[in-house]
Amino acid sequence: MPSNPSAAKYLDGQLQEHSLYRKKKRASDGVLKACIFVATGLTIAVLLGIILYILVRGIPHLSWSFIANPYSETNPDRKGILPMIINTLYIVGITLLISAPIGICSAIYLTQYAKQGRLVRAIRFTTEVLSGIPSILFGLFGYTVFCTLFRLQTSILAGCLTMTLCVLPTIIRTTEESLLSVPSSYKEGAMALGAGKFRVIMGIVLPCAMPGVLTAVILAMGRIVGESAALLFTSGVSYNMPSGPFSHIMESGRTLTLHLYQTAREASSEDAMNIAFATATVLLIVIFILNRLASLLSKVLKKG
Amino acid sequence: MTISMNDLAAQQKADKRNRIKRIIAIVLGLGAVAMFFLPNITFVFRNTTYVTSGMDLAFAQGFWVEGKELSGLVAIPVLTRIAVIASVVLALAGAALLFFKKATLAGIAYVISGVCPLVMLISMTSVQTAVTQLNISNISVGYMLPFVYILASGLVCAVLSLWTQGGEKLAQSIFLVASCVSIGAVLMITIYIIAAGAPAIGEIGIFSFLFGVNWDAKSNEFGILALILSSIAGTFGAIVIGVPIGILTAVFLSEIASPKVARLIRPAIELLAGIPSVIYGFFGMLIIVPAIRAVFPGATIGDSLLAAIIILAIMIIPTIVNVTENSLRAVPQSYREASLGLGATATHTIFKITIPAAKSGILSGVILGVGRAIGETMAVIMVAGNVANMPSLLGTVRFLTTGIAMEMSYASGLHRQALFAIGFVLFVFIMIVNISFTIISKRGAKMNAK
Repeated sequence: MPSNPSAAKYLDGQLQEHSLYRKKKRASDGVLKACIFVATGLTIAVLLGIILYILVRGIPHLSWSFIANPYSETNPDRKGILPMIINTLYIVGITLLISAPIGICSAIYLTQYAKQGRLVRAIRFTTEVLSGIPSILFGLFGYTVFCTLFRLQTSILAGCLTMTLCVLPTIIRTTEESLLSVPSSYKEGAMALGAGKFRVIMGIVLPCAMPGVLTAVILAMGRIVGESAALLFTSGVSYNMPSGPFSHIMESGRTLTLHLYQTAREASSEDAMNIAFATATVLLIVIFILNRLASLLSKVLKKG
Repeated sequence: MTISMNDLAAQQKADKRNRIKRIIAIVLGLGAVAMFFLPNITFVFRNTTYVTSGMDLAFAQGFWVEGKELSGLVAIPVLTRIAVIASVVLALAGAALLFFKKATLAGIAYVISGVCPLVMLISMTSVQTAVTQLNISNISVGYMLPFVYILASGLVCAVLSLWTQGGEKLAQSIFLVASCVSIGAVLMITIYIIAAGAPAIGEIGIFSFLFGVNWDAKSNEFGILALILSSIAGTFGAIVIGVPIGILTAVFLSEIASPKVARLIRPAIELLAGIPSVIYGFFGMLIIVPAIRAVFPGATIGDSLLAAIIILAIMIIPTIVNVTENSLRAVPQSYREASLGLGATATHTIFKITIPAAKSGILSGVILGVGRAIGETMAVIMVAGNVANMPSLLGTVRFLTTGIAMEMSYASGLHRQALFAIGFVLFVFIMIVNISFTIISKRGAKMNAK
């Protein structure tokens, strides 16, 4: 410490002027930082705006009779969404029944068996292409191939086959990631104990990666519930109640998203708009639940 | 000594089991062959039911159909005949191969034999068309059950015959076949989109199709220049608005926000990505369209390119935020520290060091956003007005995607083919986007490796 007070003052000034801790202020910094905050605020505001707007207008019209009643365009007493819920469940269920085994097997092959080569490159490339194809093209393809060529007409089954192609990349990629995250020491341990490769996969790798596989399935569910363009021509827009549990597979039926689309477009009265809002609310709630489930599961996977 | 005895016993046991599998596969395969000789294909035609067997399809001359005005012999397509014969021959060949213990070949033969009826199903469509052309519409054909049986037994036989080579081999084959599904799907989609779209382009003429300004189905004018330009304008607009907001939000999440805040915002953005496009469209229809109408009174009806751009921008933000944030996080901490150590401010570091370092990741996010925007249908259909005008910010427009969706339900003839041709053009656009994405992400991976 310098004893001379004036010297101390001088040193202090020097420190303030030339200190490493004092950075040069840039005028643009504040502007840029403000931009970052404004952009983030905008994103969040839009998100909250959409969700709140739909919920505020939709929740008052939700009721048990709305969920449990059949739908009719003319009869004002029958304005429920039960058939749409059934159709959505059918499409989600059957699509997953077809696509989950294929996708999981495919991911197993890619991570556990395949050696880097032309075939694997082809599979990866086509999976990527498949995930980039817009859903309207899937709809067009499903319509020509499944509805016309395979004679399935516009039916739930045709919609399911189309959706299988849509969700396959999601399932493959997510499952692959979770399979890769299984430590190879687990596999090596099981191999050393004399288990065959198939045994190791079924007994060790797949159970360890289960949360990830479930995440893949839930992501696929979200995609199917939210899909509309691919189903417009393939599963159709009929809103009748199913004629029977099995025959319904060959019948046309609109999902919740298509119901929202149709009612919103054709809405001429306040009542019709309310139906659209309530349907949108149901959709948002379903998507929200699926979203939470998926992130919960991936947390479980990370913890191991 | 005892060990080798055990081995011998195990070997015998396995042999015995394999023999049983082989016998079951052979019997099932022969059952499938028998299906072709049984009269199980029904034609219901004017309340009369005709029954034929699969073999008849291969050797009969055709269907004699009597219509009100026209009647004639509807020939059975050559492909159908080939498929029937191939299916029978391959099922028999599978049995023979299995008998001589050539399991892999037998498995392949069985699978193809099982799939052949599908080819029959597809090629028989032309019979249906021919019958319809004779002005008869009330014909229905029932052959689902035998076909499903043949398909199922073909697959079961293949599994059994591969199984005789051991469980490991079987498992690997099944996994391999499953992973080839996506290759098959992409091939099929490509072939069908091209096959369905090319004839119309040929008929209309590639120049007048791509550069024609008028789209009028009634007078057979199919020019899609307006659709192409609208799609490009919409995508470009969405990128111009959405990319800066998305990147800045990602910067906030990865560089500025405390972990707690980021944990709160990130799920919200994930949710934004999961919201169905119909809901975005619905929101746009009720909020953005009236807002545009109010801001530009008299100049627009609200349904416009601008509305589509705003909705698309909102829809691509989550994609861009997600990819950008990941690539920002991948930038090594030492870069930032070096920059700060040289005296740059935190904000300066973000814009001069971190973002440029994450450039290729951000670019691939942008391309993903382009893909999403150009392929979006339902949200656009609800806000863009859907009239095939040349793009202007406040005028109604029709995109490539919405062009297909709007008219698909009632189009027929050349009109329908023209819609498929639009699908083809859209497919080409998407493939360009896809391939550039692959190239850029590969380059990014290489840079990271360095």
